[in-house]
This record gives sequence, structure tokens and C-alpha cells, in this order.
Amino acid sequence: MRGARHGTMNALQRIAAAAMSRDLCGFVVPGAEIARTVGIDLGDAGLRLSATPRHANVLVVIGRLPAGLLDAACVVYAQMPRPRAILTLGTNDISPLPVPDATGPLTQAGLEAAIADIRRIFAMAAFQPDVENFEAPTLETSTEYTCPMHPEVVQEAPGNCPKCGMTLVERETAGSVHRGHAVPEQKREVAAQKHSKPVAVCHDRSKGGHSADGDNHEQHKTHGSGHKQHHMRAKPDNTEAPLQYTCPMHPEVVSDEAGSCPKCGMHLVPVAEAGGHSGHDHKAHGKAHDEHSTDNHRGGHGGHGGSERVEGVEAHFMSMVDLTRDMPASADGLKMEWIDVPFGPFFPGLPGGLQLKLTLDGDAVATTSADSLVGSSDPLRANPSSPIEFVDHLAALSPLSPIAYRLLACLALEQAAGQSVAPDIARARLAVVERERVASHLGWLAVFGAQSGSSWIEKRAAAFQLKVQGAAATDVTTLKPKLSTFLAKLQRTPLLAARLSGIGQLPANDTLSGPVARASGMASDTRSDDPVYAEIGFSVLTMTDGDALARLVQRCNEITQSLDLISAVGSVARLEPHSIGAASGTGEAVVETPRGAARLSLTLHKGKVIAADIKTPTTAHLTLIGDVAEGQELGDALTGIGSLDISPWEVTS
Amino acid sequence: MTVLIVLVALAVGAYLVAVLESWAVHGRLEPARPAISALALLGRESLLARTPDRLFFEAGPVVLLVAGLLAVAVIPLAPGLIVTDLATGALFLNAALAYVLVALIMAGWGPNGAYAMIGGWRFLGQFVAYAMLIVMPITAVAMRAESLSTVDIVTSQSALWNIAYQPLGFVLFVTAAMGLCWLPPLDLPTAPGDLAGGIEAEYTGARLAVLRLARMVLIMALAGATVTFYLGGWLGPWLPAWAWSAIKILFVAGLMVSVGRLVPRVREAQYLEISWKLGIPLALANIFLVGVITLVVPI
Repeated sequence: MRGARHGTMNALQRIAAAAMSRDLCGFVVPGAEIARTVGIDLGDAGLRLSATPRHANVLVVIGRLPAGLLDAACVVYAQMPRPRAILTLGTNDISPLPVPDATGPLTQAGLEAAIADIRRIFAMAAFQPDVENFEAPTLETSTEYTCPMHPEVVQEAPGNCPKCGMTLVERETAGSVHRGHAVPEQKREVAAQKHSKPVAVCHDRSKGGHSADGDNHEQHKTHGSGHKQHHMRAKPDNTEAPLQYTCPMHPEVVSDEAGSCPKCGMHLVPVAEAGGHSGHDHKAHGKAHDEHSTDNHRGGHGGHGGSERVEGVEAHFMSMVDLTRDMPASADGLKMEWIDVPFGPFFPGLPGGLQLKLTLDGDAVATTSADSLVGSSDPLRANPSSPIEFVDHLAALSPLSPIAYRLLACLALEQAAGQSVAPDIARARLAVVERERVASHLGWLAVFGAQSGSSWIEKRAAAFQLKVQGAAATDVTTLKPKLSTFLAKLQRTPLLAARLSGIGQLPANDTLSGPVARASGMASDTRSDDPVYAEIGFSVLTMTDGDALARLVQRCNEITQSLDLISAVGSVARLEPHSIGAASGTGEAVVETPRGAARLSLTLHKGKVIAADIKTPTTAHLTLIGDVAEGQELGDALTGIGSLDISPWEVTS
Repeated sequence: MTVLIVLVALAVGAYLVAVLESWAVHGRLEPARPAISALALLGRESLLARTPDRLFFEAGPVVLLVAGLLAVAVIPLAPGLIVTDLATGALFLNAALAYVLVALIMAGWGPNGAYAMIGGWRFLGQFVAYAMLIVMPITAVAMRAESLSTVDIVTSQSALWNIAYQPLGFVLFVTAAMGLCWLPPLDLPTAPGDLAGGIEAEYTGARLAVLRLARMVLIMALAGATVTFYLGGWLGPWLPAWAWSAIKILFVAGLMVSVGRLVPRVREAQYLEISWKLGIPLALANIFLVGVITLVVPI
């Protein structure tokens, strides 16, 4: 066992190992929602799920991870306390993570067998006399030295600042590969998160691109007095002999002679100077995260004026009132320090693969940036590809709703080849897509339950999801009364309306699609243009409020509606692409996926797909994150983001 | 000797409540689960955060445990079965609970991580709002008993339990008590969905075991306080006094740990708003009502 804890198996450790083998706590990557879509019930297999890697002892990897997620998974694994194990399902290749301790096929039986293996391994080998460290390029860090007042000064060895003579401070930087794959409790991020970190200050100003001139200079009585140095230098003709000298960083140091500060080695400045320039002190001290500064900018993190940030202030140095003077007040009227906090890509309550960076003003969200680590930029992996490959690839593109994308590919291919399908097949296809919509909405409800802390909602919704997906039409019909009872009870849950109403309000606009649009009162549903749907009596359902509560109710209503549609059709077919021979042509199709309308256009040349272009609803929805989160309290912001039902997998660039 | 009995009772009670909590969370009744989890936690590494405030990080869970134990000291389990029957017992309980805030701020600040820190500050807001809803209902209870001694408070309810005498106070007290031990739906400081564990997020191994034990002790202390103040303590027919205490405390604690699993977490702003705008006026009304009743109807 590679993740064993150092020690020998004596009597006490045997007992602990036996206990651990019966107390497996899993951290799932990319997320439990992915496990459910392939029909795996983690809880049923005896695995407790943890919200943080710190409390987990098994890293559960579901399916093949994209490269970006592998790096993040390395960080998660490094955060887990030993003894720790890795369990993979459906994949064996997880390098740079260590070789998995147990692995199995992507099925419930595979999971159960793998868990039994993990239990055995824990009981036998949780403690070992020789353990190897886990090392991955992602985790590499290096140490460099910089001046707290002059961020441009960075050197590899300790020493004094050539500009002000102050002792350089140490800081840790990430290895070359790592660019801030934000995960909960990432060690090196934690290192920079607290306020009193001069380390963070300098880095921010250097990489965050905050200018040292202009707007950033605002009145700020005591802080950042290092910049007095500039002013002093700017006026070399200051002939008035000052009586006393003090350190810009340590006001308690007062000396009659010029010299260096005994505490930090900085040149002392005349007392008169120190007082005289207080009107031009530097106030902007950007963000707390080292590597995130660069990342934010790369990610187009707009609105980071930065002039509001105050960081890196020693507590004894000044009062909070001074610190926040002249800063813009938050929505609640309070002035707070700003910190950058990463959420994801494996954050409980958010879909796996979604990476959020929230700048928090106190506990309110000031700015957001969202990115998908799993989105594909190209629907055509191999170019040109055969129709079968193309359909499979497009389905794999979106593990949260593969069937809708499979249908999308089939429709576009058939149109390009000039084929038409029999009416009964078209109806059976409709049923299979509607069944997926039910499962997908239930999956969203389970994630919502996890995020909002209602284990009842989470468990029931997840159980229904597992039952619905893959069920025959008759089974779906028998499940309907129970499911309807659940949905009715869910909507009557006490505190539910209070938690959701007014959160993430979105007015009707063209960016919205799917249930999000319909909850805002837009009758936007491509199903209404489909004659097959019209035949069995489909009408678009809408809500008016456009908030998180309306979206929840909308999804519940759509589940009921889809169940009715499946009953009306009476059979569910597997989606098989037709053989299209050596046809050529162009095709375009649109399918109302559980998250909204997805459009695909493709070009077929002699039976091969040579070009394809896809538009997914989620790509547009990703831009809504700022609208629903900014200015909100953290919990409300995350609820709002969750209510959009973003599938990071479907984000295309 | 009394101390020993109370500690054993506390350990047994905390264990049973842990079984109930695990049942409520995971849906399986496994009597051995808390023991297995505790042993497993003790066998894991107890990691130190990268740049912690070491003193706060280490002290947080311990301070919480001490605060919980001090609060237990004034809970009477039967006539004579109380660690210390202070004349100011009800006040002492309140003073002991004040250290819960200190402990959580320490645990939030110590690891030097954003989630924990936000959790700690959330608890600060929550505690400032709800400390009043602990102490004001106690005031009304003490008015009826004409004493701050917890033993006198129990005996004052021999004719009618306070849950019937001052139901408003009971509701306010239980709400505040659940917030004080951050139980769902008031688990804002740990909030797994928003903060990935919050104040607990950076604790592992033995330190996490202490933190979880401390929280369980706190739950027992507050369930004990609820029973003492509102459910007539050890009073009851047929069964021995200690048995009544045990049944009532376990019932209240079981309810406290399980009820929140059914509903979504309360929004922070609303939670605070309810306390300041609704809870405190109601608590004042409760004191007034109880004062009038005490003067008019002597029961």
C-alpha cells in the first residue's frame, strides 16, 4: 500500500487498521454525480463520502480523468492524511497519481469488489515501516525571496533589498506545471490565505499587475508606509534636519540617528517625513494567492481593479478601522478585506470539474471567475472520424447527459445523409431523451441536497435517479406515483422556499436556455418545434420568477411532464446510429438537452465526418455565474450557481 | 464519585447520540459505528496546516471540550447527582457556553485557511445573535424558580413543566441551542456544501477526534440544559430519577441531531435577521409574560 502510514503493525495499530478498514471515507473525483450517471451508488457499496479530502482515506476515481483534473486530483491526494488508498473504476492510468490500490470496471459490482480489496489492504498494510513520499510535478514548489515593499525585487537567496535595505522575506511559489488548480484546502494556497502575509502583498502587486502609481495611491493613514521611501527619494533637497528617525514598518522604533531598523533592517526615515506623506500611501495590496494572480488574468478575470484590496497588514500595526478607511463599502455597508478563495474543481455542492474563484469581501462575493477544467474545445477528436466514433465521442463529451448528445449526433448525421427515421423509432427516441431528462433533473436535485445540507433530499433524489436511468417504460410508469409524491413533498419542505426565493434572479434574455430560461418566463424549448412531440401533446411549461426557487420548481414540473411523455410513448429504445454508408452532405440538428438547446452542424464526406461545430447551452450559462453570485453572501452565491445546473463537461471554447 | 458517575453517564450518552447521529446522516443503525470511527481517526495522521497559528490550532478543540465539560458540571441528573450545585448554576452554564465562541474562532483562525476562517466568523455572527436567546429564556426560567440554581429550577417545575408554562421560551432556547452546537439546519460554520467542512476542514486524525468529541459533549450539555430548564429534569413517575433524566436528555439530543437532515440549511442573513428582529422581541415578551403569570398564578 503506497499511502501507508509510517509505523509497524503492533497490537494497537492492528486495531486501528481494522477500524479503518471498516470506516472507509471516500473523496470522489470528478464527483458523485458522475458516478450516479453510470449507475453506481457509492453509499450502497459502504463508502461514506467526505466533503473534504482531509477527512477522507480513499480517493475514488470514476472513469478516465482529463489532464487538468489529474493535476487537481494529485493535490487532493496529497492533502489526504495517511493511511490513504486509491480506488479507480473504469481506468487504470492515473499517472502522476500513484498506481491504484484497487481497481475495477465501471459497475456497481466492480465497485463492491474494489472496496472489498481496499478493506483488506487497510487491515493488512495500513502501517508500514518504510513509506515513500508522494511526489508529482504539480506539487513542486520552490522558495524565493522578495522585498515586502518592492515586489519587483525577487531573488533566489536571502538578503536585503537593494532599494530600501529591508530584509527580504521568503515565499513559496508553485512548480512550473502548477497553475492554481484550485481545490479545497490546497496546501500552498492555504499558506497565503491569511491576512498578515506580507509575502502575498508583494507577489500580488508584481503579478497581479497593480500599478504602483496613479489610482492606487489613496489616503491611508498608516499602512504601506514603505512608499514613503519613494517620496523621500523624490525630494533629495530636503534640507531641514529632522530630529528623530523611525522605521516605516515598525513605528515603535525611534532613533536619534539615521541607520537601520533593528527589527527588519530597513533604513530608518525621518519622523517628519513619515508623518508628512501619509496622504499618498499605497493602499492596494492585491490578492492573497500566489499563483492565482496570473491565472485570474489568464482567465479573463475582469473587474479586478485591485485598488480596494488591503492585504499583508500586521495586526499590531494598525486598526481595522484604519485599514478599511476609504474602501468601498459592501452591499451590507461594511468595509472588509478581500480574499480570493478557490472553489472546485472538486468542491462538494458544485459539479466536478467546475473551477470557481471567488473574491470574497468579508463573506460576500465581490467578483467571480469560472472555468471548466473538463470542457472539450473540439467535438471532433479525430478528424475525420467515422459516424460511430463521432456519435460515441459526442456522447462521451457530456457524461451528465450522454443520450441527448448521442441523439443530437444521430439526427445531424441522418440529415446530412438525407435519411429519415420511422415514426415509431422517432417516438422511442423521444422517450429515451425524456427519461434522461428525468434522471438528469433528479441528479441535479441530489447535488442541490448535498449543497444545501439536506441529506434527505440528496438520498431520495439519488435513489430515484438510479432507478429511473436505464428503466423500461413500464418501470418508469410504475415509479411515477412514488416520484410524484416525493416531488410534492420536496416542494413543501420547510425552509426550502426561504432558502431559494430571490436567489440568483435572472431576467429573461437570450443567454438563457433550457429550464433556466423557462423558469424566467421564456417559452424557449426546441421541443415545441418538433412534430413528434406535438403529436403526443407536448406544451412548454414556464415559471415567472426566474430565481433559484423557480428553477427548482421548473425542474420538478419538467420531471412530471417527462414521465407523462414516456407513458404516452410506451416504449424506450436504445439509441443506435444508422448506417449511413458513403453519403456526403451537411446536416444540422438541435436537441433540447436537460440543460437547454444544443445545436450541432456537421459536414459529411464519403461517410466520414470531416467538420463539426457544436453549441451547448452550458457554455453560455457559464457567463451567468457573475450575475447570480456577485454581491451575494457566499452561501447564497453558491446556491445561485448551483441552481444553473452547469455541466462543466459541456463547456466548449 | 459524583464526578465519575456524571462523566460515565456523559460518555455513554454521547456514544448513544453519536449512534443516532450516524443513523440520521447515513441511514444505517450501526451501534459500533462511533467506536470504529473514533479508532480509525486515532489511527490516521494528524496533519498540521501549512502555516498555522499553532496555538489557536491546537487550543481550539481542547477549549471547546473544556467549555462543554464545564457546562455539564451544572446539569443535575438526579437529586444529589450533580457535579457542583452552584447558587448561580444557570449563569455559570451561560458563562461556560461563551467559551464555545472562543474555541470556534480559534479553530477557524488557527489553520490559516479561507474556509475555516469564514466558518469561524460565521459562528461569531451566529453566536452574538443567539447568545441572547440562550440567556433571556433562562432569565424567565429563573424568575419562576426564584433561583439560579439548576437544582431549584428542576424542583420548581414539579407542578408543571416549563415547556407548558413558557413554551415560547422553550422554542427560542432550543433554536439557540442548536445554533450553538452548529447542528443542521444551523450548521453554518461547517456547512459542507458552502465551506467544505469550514472550521473542521483542516483538522485530521486525533485533533479531529477531539473536535468531534467536544461537539458531542456540547450537544449533551445543551440537551441536558433543555431538559433541566424546560422538561422537568429528573422529575417523572414510576422510574428512578436518573432514568428520567437519561430518557429525556437522549430524546432531546436525538431530536436535535436528526431533525435538521430533512430541511435545507438556513441562510445566514435570514438566520441572523430572525434572531435580532424576531427572537429578541419574543424573548422579552416571554420574560414579561412569565413575570405576569408568576405574580398572578402561583404554580
